[in-house]
Amino acid sequence: MKTKKIKKWLEDFYLVIILLFLYAPIFTMMVLSFNNSKSRTQWGGFTVKWYGQMFESSSIMDALYYTLIIAFLSALIASIIGTVAAIGINRMKKLPRTITIGLNNIPMLNSEIVTGISLMLVFIAFGISLGFKTILLAHITFNIPYVVLNVMPKLKQTDYSAYEAAQDLGATPLQAFFKVVFPDIFPGILSGFLMAFTMSLDDFIITHFTRGAGINTLSTLIYSEVRRGIQPSMYALSTVIFITVLVLLLITNFAPENQTGIPASKAEAAMKKRRRNNNIRKGILALAAFTIVASVSFATYKKYASSHSNELYVYNWGEYIDPEVIELFEEETGIHVTYDMFETNEEMYPVIEAGAVQYDVVCPSDYMIQKMAENGLLAEINFDNIPNISNIDETFMEQSRSFDPQNRYSVPYTWGTVGILYNTKIIEERGLPVPTRWSDLWNPAYAGEILMQDSVRDAFMVALKSLGYSMNTVDETELTQARDLLIQQKPLVQAYVIDQVRDKMIGGEAAIGVIYSGEMLFIQEEVKNLGLDYSLEYVIPEEGTNLWLDSWVIPSNARNKENAEKWINFLCRPDIAKMNFDYITYSTPNKAAKALLDEDIQNNKAIFPDTDKLVNCEVFQYLGDEADTLYNELWKEVKSN
Amino acid sequence: MNSPKTKYLAFPYIVWMIGFTIIPLALIVYYGLTDKTGSFTLENVLSIATPEHVKALFLSLALSLASTVICLLLAYPLAMILRKKGVGAGSFIVFIFILPMWMNFLLRTLAWQTLLEKSGVINGILSALGLPGIAIINTPWAIILGMVYNFLPFMVLPIYNILMKIDDNTINAAKDLGANSLQTFLHIWLPLSVPGIISGITMVFVPALTTFVISNLLGGSKILLIGNVIEQEFTRGSNWHLGSGLSLVLMVFILISMALIAKYDKNGEGSTF
Repeated sequence: MKTKKIKKWLEDFYLVIILLFLYAPIFTMMVLSFNNSKSRTQWGGFTVKWYGQMFESSSIMDALYYTLIIAFLSALIASIIGTVAAIGINRMKKLPRTITIGLNNIPMLNSEIVTGISLMLVFIAFGISLGFKTILLAHITFNIPYVVLNVMPKLKQTDYSAYEAAQDLGATPLQAFFKVVFPDIFPGILSGFLMAFTMSLDDFIITHFTRGAGINTLSTLIYSEVRRGIQPSMYALSTVIFITVLVLLLITNFAPENQTGIPASKAEAAMKKRRRNNNIRKGILALAAFTIVASVSFATYKKYASSHSNELYVYNWGEYIDPEVIELFEEETGIHVTYDMFETNEEMYPVIEAGAVQYDVVCPSDYMIQKMAENGLLAEINFDNIPNISNIDETFMEQSRSFDPQNRYSVPYTWGTVGILYNTKIIEERGLPVPTRWSDLWNPAYAGEILMQDSVRDAFMVALKSLGYSMNTVDETELTQARDLLIQQKPLVQAYVIDQVRDKMIGGEAAIGVIYSGEMLFIQEEVKNLGLDYSLEYVIPEEGTNLWLDSWVIPSNARNKENAEKWINFLCRPDIAKMNFDYITYSTPNKAAKALLDEDIQNNKAIFPDTDKLVNCEVFQYLGDEADTLYNELWKEVKSN
Repeated sequence: MNSPKTKYLAFPYIVWMIGFTIIPLALIVYYGLTDKTGSFTLENVLSIATPEHVKALFLSLALSLASTVICLLLAYPLAMILRKKGVGAGSFIVFIFILPMWMNFLLRTLAWQTLLEKSGVINGILSALGLPGIAIINTPWAIILGMVYNFLPFMVLPIYNILMKIDDNTINAAKDLGANSLQTFLHIWLPLSVPGIISGITMVFVPALTTFVISNLLGGSKILLIGNVIEQEFTRGSNWHLGSGLSLVLMVFILISMALIAKYDKNGEGSTF
């Protein structure tokens, strides 16, 4: 008896460990939703403000609405098609059945990225513009297999003689189906529906490739935020969803009876089974009710909000504008803005090139602007419509000429440098030298303490500059040398990151990191607010660095060019540029806006370095397809080493 | 229902599959076997043999194999325990494993970063207890952990479902005939649960083999898996032909999985859900 007790205890213990493993990240998210600091790695005190912000954020609420409505509709349609198909498949001969089931398995087994891309190719080939309906079609496609697989076993258990008997007694085939077969397979349909709903909710990759302008699900919204740090409101929303579902679950499962104990007889077991199916049914009904209520209320709101004739489609980096600026623009001009975000230049390019989504105004970086212009993707800006261009410092118009020779296509929005950020405390404690040069990133004393940039051009810029070469080189020997240098550095590197370098450095995860200067103001304020016992300093390496510009351009297929020009003009207004600077903290090329800033910010050398410090700096240029391929190949060799 | 016409009910779905499964795959095959000018080439497929790609492929195979084995070892006893807990709790248990999937998977994986980091939550707890910290973030171990975490439900559910179908009487009969626990396990439990195990293995192995998000977030982008290579060809390198060619290579593994399922799970008994 005693061993049995121990065994039971061990079993329970095992169960608890597994549950802990499954739920630990979810508890982490819940805790982060109450974190006063925006940083993922530091605790800044308790707050519930993110819960309020979550409801105010129209991007989060829109994404929630689309996520739910797509999950619900795709699961519903998939349930209908899948159930009908399962009945048909069940009656097929052996060979066609095996083939059909094999085909049915493809979307489940195929890698998501292939499914996503292949669907995108088909939508473009068929001329279906990417948007809500393409996401829905894609989700239905990968949801049907789950329904089929759930319904098939139930159909096998169905007793056909009962169905025949019903018809003998005068029921039409349809009546017989709904009265006899349907109740038997219903639990299968329900669990198929539930599974489909869940898979749709959790999907990111396929949605990512099949979505169009102005539509985000929670997954794609989160992905666009990974770059500049997740808004804590996202954690708040997850917490709310989790609690809602958990409560629904507890109500449906524990309210009617006590579930423990082993059934004494078959009859009781059958009854329990019926209750269990009942519970799933109730759970799903509650779920459906929840979705419908949420969706209908948002749909009404959307309908009210989206009846505009005057439109503007904006495509910008994630977290790269003050949301209030968009609202002000809409108020002043009456133009309705559809705002979308991308994570990298390279990700944005094929979207514009394919023309599946027609944006009116886009904000790429220097070298990408050159590539777009050379490939005829940009329209010339009519500067008569942008009188506020006079507020832009002439230095930046001149720098723009390195990628836009006659200043025809672009208007500078933000600028900055790339440099080394270091943690004063770790450097001091370990007795390490303060970094001043790129070559310091090869100092073995920093082993495991270095954060490198995870993008081809930035990583090669570091290596090329430390070798004294141009960062725009296409010389194969120079590039091979740079590759060898990066391979040599790899064991010292803790991680290759993009903007997570910010959170990791604030959290004290690493001693030095390569970072964009625009993050500096946020970092310095955060270090002060959190009362950390170290400070983070920024240095522009002596060998020179990347001087980058992000500028607004108008794609040649823009449908609202004049509105796009109004938008650019609006952003060049000093008060608006200042608002944006306060929010995103990336240096503004707008001299009139800079003059409005506090003195100490104007004099902050990390944000507004003296131009004479920038002697060795260059602006990235587009190097042509061949060089691009070479860079990518060499980078892959670094990464796989 | 019994009339021969019933089978035509599958027709709409077959049309759907042709439009949204077959044609898309055909496009991938087309891209994979052509170059930028549109002429036929095997170069994209054969590029799997370059040292970087071979390395990425083998690393992916090793990591996904490891996580599949770990998932199986964790899931089987778990499914046995869950089965023992009784029929009534069934739907609840299924919910418990599906529930985490309702939280966005990017957020969950990011949360593991917060947990595993050098100055992360787990190391904080360990050091408070006076224990040495763990340093698995940005290593292959963290990627395996992330894979096991994300795909464990896909192993647990099919095995649990198939175990639920085993009749208690069969087990009791074996015991009455003098089989000990190990014998019962080897001769009854295991053979009867093969369809569930096979289904679970493919449901874990294939997504683990092709993932790129987990290796990016938990591997510090230092570790290049074949999924990352393909993703980069599509999103950064913009070489869709190469990406498609490499995807074709991966499809071999998918076909093997489909063949295994067809062989061991003829009736779809081991379906995941």
